[in-house]
Amino acid sequence: MSAVAVELLILILLMLMLPALIGGLCAGLYPGGRGLIFRWISGQFLLWAGFQVICVPMILRQMSLGKFIWVFSGYGAILAFLAVILEIRRRKRENLPALGPGGKQDKPREGVLLWAVFGALLAFQLVQAVRLVFDDADDAYYVSVASLAESSDAMFQRSPYAEGEMTLDYRHALAPFSIWIAFLARLSGMRTVVVAQVVLPVVLISMAYGIYYLFSRVLFPEQGGQRALFMIFVGILILFGNYSVYTSETFLIGRSRQGKATLGSIVVPFLLFLLLSLLKRLQEKEKVPALLYALFAAAGLAGCLCSTLGALLACMVMGGGGLFAAVCYKRPGVLLPLMACCVPCAGYALLYVVLK
Amino acid sequence: MWSEVSRAFLGYMGAGLIGICYLLALVYLWLTEKRKYIRILFLYMPLALLALFFHPLFAKLVYYAAEDEIYWRVLWLLPMTATLAYTCVRIYGEMDAKRGKRWAEAAALCMAGVIAVSGSFIYASPSFSRAENIYHVPDAVVEICDAINVPGREVMAVFPLELTQHVRQYSPVTCMPYGREVTMAKWFFLHPLKDEMEKDIIDMEALVPLVREYRCHYVIFRPGQKIQGDPLDYGWEWFGEAEGYTIYRDPHEELIIPDLD
Repeated sequence: MSAVAVELLILILLMLMLPALIGGLCAGLYPGGRGLIFRWISGQFLLWAGFQVICVPMILRQMSLGKFIWVFSGYGAILAFLAVILEIRRRKRENLPALGPGGKQDKPREGVLLWAVFGALLAFQLVQAVRLVFDDADDAYYVSVASLAESSDAMFQRSPYAEGEMTLDYRHALAPFSIWIAFLARLSGMRTVVVAQVVLPVVLISMAYGIYYLFSRVLFPEQGGQRALFMIFVGILILFGNYSVYTSETFLIGRSRQGKATLGSIVVPFLLFLLLSLLKRLQEKEKVPALLYALFAAAGLAGCLCSTLGALLACMVMGGGGLFAAVCYKRPGVLLPLMACCVPCAGYALLYVVLK
Repeated sequence: MWSEVSRAFLGYMGAGLIGICYLLALVYLWLTEKRKYIRILFLYMPLALLALFFHPLFAKLVYYAAEDEIYWRVLWLLPMTATLAYTCVRIYGEMDAKRGKRWAEAAALCMAGVIAVSGSFIYASPSFSRAENIYHVPDAVVEICDAINVPGREVMAVFPLELTQHVRQYSPVTCMPYGREVTMAKWFFLHPLKDEMEKDIIDMEALVPLVREYRCHYVIFRPGQKIQGDPLDYGWEWFGEAEGYTIYRDPHEELIIPDLD
């Protein structure tokens, strides 16, 4: 097997299979929770949350990337172990085979043609992500930080622009999304610039569409055809979303290797999806599981990983959504756990204000 | 403050046609949507967010805590894509129920057309270009860095400005006396070597001492660069060419190759 194939396999393991396995911890949360897409996305958010919690203190203490990778791998291994235990217990309880899909899978029987149209739209965008370059000078910072961390083993200690050491840049060090790229490059062995410029856009664009698919499942629970139509409209809106250079669609397609793009096009939509799930549960007078709040907290931390502004945006979604939920459904009880979910974000925001 | 905030809003909305579509979608949902959880997410929260966005106190707070230049990112919280897509499907469903499948399909096509006309095709952006290689950096950067890199150590090279932003993405062991920071007008980052390198006609008499002051091993000239004086007369060695760029080695700066064994 060629070196490139091995590198790609490792990346598939790290960015698709491991998150999908870990996402099993959240499988019971959502009607389609046993579906692969929800598992993959929620698992990735759990990993990102741990990444942020472990990475920032190690950066501030100027520890090496190698040491960080050991600690973070331990976190990933614990989550994976817990997910496997949980999955085995669930399969035993539900009398399912030990291997295989492990439950009813979503099959879009309705609107096959519409799903094919959507598939073509998505495939077009993924091919373009590999084929085209979006020239953005900010890459000189974000991708170079990742390249330098991977090659020098030092996180945010070398100047990305020119040469030599640099004083710790707190604004970016508190949101070390670039170190996630370095982590993927180090473990896979693929060159950092290829991970950042080619692999990440393909995975993150797919993930953004995955989140909109989750939206569609809540908005159109019964109608597969309408779900496909919803996804086509999302695809068109993204494809024609360059009405200004600031839109999250422009950032998703052009600059997905930069943390701020992931914040706008993945973290924020996922937070809104979680809020929609919470509101729907309140509407149907269901109990809100603690795991949903845990996922809110994880999404908030993922926002902090992407950008220092992520703390503010995550708190605005959780705080604002919580207030509306409390008032409209007369359930003030939801406010307290949502406020608790904001605490880690507020902590990072405070740290930034103190350090800057 | 009001003018800055409204400028940020208008800048985000671009020509404004998608903004109008979004506004119409909000009106439609306000009149027709019955499910409270959807009303909260797609109507109440965005309206509250817009009120907050234009509130001077909130704007001042964000301007203080973050940067004034990124205030528009608060608008990422508006679920415009989800709301518009949901509204389109709702209209399709209503047409299907009232007038039949054909009318509904025609309406869906019209709505897709309106979105396409109101928005701007993302790949039409001038920022997109065909990738020259799998690294998504110019071929010149790949060829120059591969040529000048030495295993086990860093090298210092001065590049034409258009290549600087790509160099350390591809090769973190290639150092430069200046990089992308000098291209940012707002940072007022002055660099004498950059000023000399970017002149229409580079004067070797002025360039050589600067190259030596910044301890550069290599100097790269862009294709067709006019130079006053011959680099070879200053002890430089012609090192090679890549994609039209000429690479010179200045032996004045010693380049000791480490023994990796």
